[in-house]
Amino acid sequence: MSEANGSAMLEVHGLRSGYHGVEVLKGIDLDVGAEVFAVLGANGAGKTTLLATLARLIPLMAGTIHFHGEDVTRLPAFETAARGIGYVPQEKGVFPELTVSENLTIGGMIGRRSREDRIAEVFELFPDLAALQGQLAGTLSGGESRMVACCRALMQDPQLLLLDEPTAGLSPLYVDMFFEKITEIHQTKGVSIILAEQNATKALEVADQVMVLSLGEAFAVMDAAQLTTDQLKEGYRI
Amino acid sequence: MNLDWLDAFLISGLFSVVIIIGLGLLLHLQLGLARIANFGVVGFFGIGMYAFGVMFVKVDWPFSEVWAFFISLAFGTLVAGLSGLLVGWLIADLDEDGVLVGTLGFATAVLILATTEQDLTGGALGLGGLKFPYDIGSVKANEFLWLIIVTTVVALILLYVGRVHRSPYGRLLIAVGANEPLARSLGKPAFRTKLWLFAVGSAGMGLLGALFGVMVRFLDISNLGIDVTLAAMVALVLGGTARVWGAVIGGFLTIGLFEIVVQSYIPFPQGWYGQAIPVVRQMVFGATLIVVLLFRPLGILGDMRRDKLMRSMHGG
Repeated sequence: MSEANGSAMLEVHGLRSGYHGVEVLKGIDLDVGAEVFAVLGANGAGKTTLLATLARLIPLMAGTIHFHGEDVTRLPAFETAARGIGYVPQEKGVFPELTVSENLTIGGMIGRRSREDRIAEVFELFPDLAALQGQLAGTLSGGESRMVACCRALMQDPQLLLLDEPTAGLSPLYVDMFFEKITEIHQTKGVSIILAEQNATKALEVADQVMVLSLGEAFAVMDAAQLTTDQLKEGYRI
Repeated sequence: MNLDWLDAFLISGLFSVVIIIGLGLLLHLQLGLARIANFGVVGFFGIGMYAFGVMFVKVDWPFSEVWAFFISLAFGTLVAGLSGLLVGWLIADLDEDGVLVGTLGFATAVLILATTEQDLTGGALGLGGLKFPYDIGSVKANEFLWLIIVTTVVALILLYVGRVHRSPYGRLLIAVGANEPLARSLGKPAFRTKLWLFAVGSAGMGLLGALFGVMVRFLDISNLGIDVTLAAMVALVLGGTARVWGAVIGGFLTIGLFEIVVQSYIPFPQGWYGQAIPVVRQMVFGATLIVVLLFRPLGILGDMRRDKLMRSMHGG
């Protein structure tokens, strides 16, 4: 547990989940506080499944999820979102037939703060998007699309943001920018982040804690600074 | 009122066009925005029509006929809405095939019920005794006034649909239709949204069914055939599934063409109208559906959003 007051924001115990009866995650324990928590692992390790399960988009086979002490294990996705868990999927993170502005509006349908204030804040964070407001999200480039998806999730005023490989397939310029923004979102907005990533080097630069997933099991959970290359290689089964 | 200038076939034809436009508009919210392919339109239309008819004709009301009429109308609308709620609850989480089978199955169940529950519905013999809630003289005058009233109701549906299109709720329907898991992860109850949409749409279809029943004044199971669903679907697809005016344009070009132009203005031999033309109509509607889906899937009016997306993806 790493939250300053000693109790974790998100507590996960014995999490098992998968698709169509096939178990992908085989008993994950996780405590996330006010921090950037990186989830690393090779393809098929279960990173996406873990985040989608935490977002309550995949049903659990076993285990519990507590958010701020409340048991959210059986809550539907829209209710966990309303409690402050934002989710940015790896793919299809925007509604292609809606404009950038409409995508953001949809994200801002929950929460009490003025939608205009929230839109102004996300444009401050990603200034390039302001010029694309009227453009259909389906016509954006990969990097722009990821920015919109991230802003859409931020429009929910989340306390915990689940980012699923936000830089996968992006150019190095976008990758650097995204990791800077992840730090900025955490530090200036106080949003905790669980970041699933393939790019271990970059992820470890911004993360406080790290979990290495290997074939659906937590191979290592520790301070990001303490993870050695050998441990990482072993976790990636290289 | 002197209505000699007005042809009775024209009133009947226009009435059919207006009803199909109304059904097409409601279908547009389900299919055009939320991508729910409701093939059971006639089921909700029919259940509203029969619930209204049975209530109005079979119940011995202790108050005036006008009150009985409006209570029965509300009852028909409510029963259709509740049916929509039930069917929506059953199909909301199903894939496209499941929705198709579920809604078609519901329409078939309504037809079977109307046929077999003879004590209530009159079965294959039909149910008479329906009447307008007013009498302003001739049958033609009463029908003409009813056409105006129903046109007003459909115009209100058009206004409602236009309003939904411009509202955040409309964007939400597009979002739920495009990517339901993503919409759920944004804090929106997609299941409840679809359920509410289905219930409201079905209630509207039921209301139109009841209004149709008043015009024909005799409920007959031949009004519960798949051709009603097909007509609304073809009108919407031809005009433009994703556009508010799609069903209006499509309604005039399909039902309008057959019910007004062919019936009133083309001098076919008299015998053709009873047998040949309805069959030809079905064939033309089916062929139209195929041709439009092949060559202009977004309909005559297209869809600004999807057109723009297509251009962006394929160039040009």
